[in-house]
Amino acid sequence: MSQFYGLAIFTVSLAVLIWFTLSSDNRLKGVSAFLLVMAVISAPTLNQEWARMTSELIDDEGNSHNGLPDIWLGKQVVCVDFPVGAAHSDYADGRHYIDYDGTDFMTETEFNGTGACVGGLSGYEDGFGMLLNATDIAEGDLEVVYSTSQYGVMIETIGGVDPCDYHTCSSTQGAYWSLYHNNAWSMVGIGDLVLVEDSVLEWKIETW
Amino acid sequence: MLGAHAIDVGPVGMLAINIALLSLVGWALLRAERGLPDGREWTLLALLAIFGIFGRVLLEPLPNIQPVTVLVLVVGMQMGAKRAIALATVIALGSNLIMGHGIWTLYQALGWSLVGCLGAYAAPHLTSMPRIAGIAALSGVLFGWVISLSILHTLGPAMLPAYILAGIPYDMLHALGNLFFAAWLASPLAEMMERHQTVHLEATENVPVTA
Repeated sequence: MSQFYGLAIFTVSLAVLIWFTLSSDNRLKGVSAFLLVMAVISAPTLNQEWARMTSELIDDEGNSHNGLPDIWLGKQVVCVDFPVGAAHSDYADGRHYIDYDGTDFMTETEFNGTGACVGGLSGYEDGFGMLLNATDIAEGDLEVVYSTSQYGVMIETIGGVDPCDYHTCSSTQGAYWSLYHNNAWSMVGIGDLVLVEDSVLEWKIETW
Repeated sequence: MLGAHAIDVGPVGMLAINIALLSLVGWALLRAERGLPDGREWTLLALLAIFGIFGRVLLEPLPNIQPVTVLVLVVGMQMGAKRAIALATVIALGSNLIMGHGIWTLYQALGWSLVGCLGAYAAPHLTSMPRIAGIAALSGVLFGWVISLSILHTLGPAMLPAYILAGIPYDMLHALGNLFFAAWLASPLAEMMERHQTVHLEATENVPVTA
């Protein structure tokens, strides 16, 4: 947004300068030409910012993107739901929605819990690659610690949250980061998950 | 095949080519108009329709920026609502034969016709360039709202406010484009139309445009 305000101030300042530089017959011609060029150049940025500002959450139970911003329809998304009181301090006030370029553009304070979704992604075919890239986009706040074994990739912590810090873990019971793919519990681990073009991955802590 | 025409000029290159072509069309039509005897109102309207169609098609790479709204507005001001409606409908249909014809053509014709009627109705008050530029910019937003009504056929009225809200950046681009075209074209167009008017307006007086 700061980039947007900077551009607006620059444009208005230069338009005022042009207005007072030109003769009265040519003022409107000069300023309108300048404003049009600036508008065309900045149109993609302005449209994107406006789409984020006016975005609404999808309310459609049958849609894999239900509850997510409508600008992510048809795009890939990674969500992490934290247990109460365990989210990174940046996400403590609800569920944050972070676009593909790292812009945290919406917070759902009425969400039952805390967490973050990174979306607007596209072109990923493997779940693990998309997860790691999503953590990069969130600038480390969703950092993933994992281990690999003969069974594949095992997620230990996300955003510094270890499930066993919030649930009793012993030889007879435990907790883990559970993976859902398009609202269904994933039958394979993140290392083997093949994505589709509008995949939504959701991580939440579950117990056994 | 030699593939002699397989040159990828890119979107900016294509836009430059289109602007050059539109300038050529505008220049040729201006020369043709200069060769006409005075009082050829419908011939002038035909030349304006050609310019409007080419203008809309060639400037398609620019989002919602085209000269049609200002053309129709000035025709409404200078020649009256009936001629503006005729021009609006011909340009909407003619350009959509190239860009794609559908139910939206009806709404575009309706939107531009309303702009023409607005020009005819407000003509007595549009005596200076800032006023014309202001109403041209406003016409861009009005046109956008009329076009938005076409979603009633598919998405229903509940989605209309959200659709209009989402389209505000495009309406603003249309308004800025109209401001530009009004500043550059309104005076020469008005002078041209004055020269060819045979029958005066139904409801308004002929009002000269001054810078």
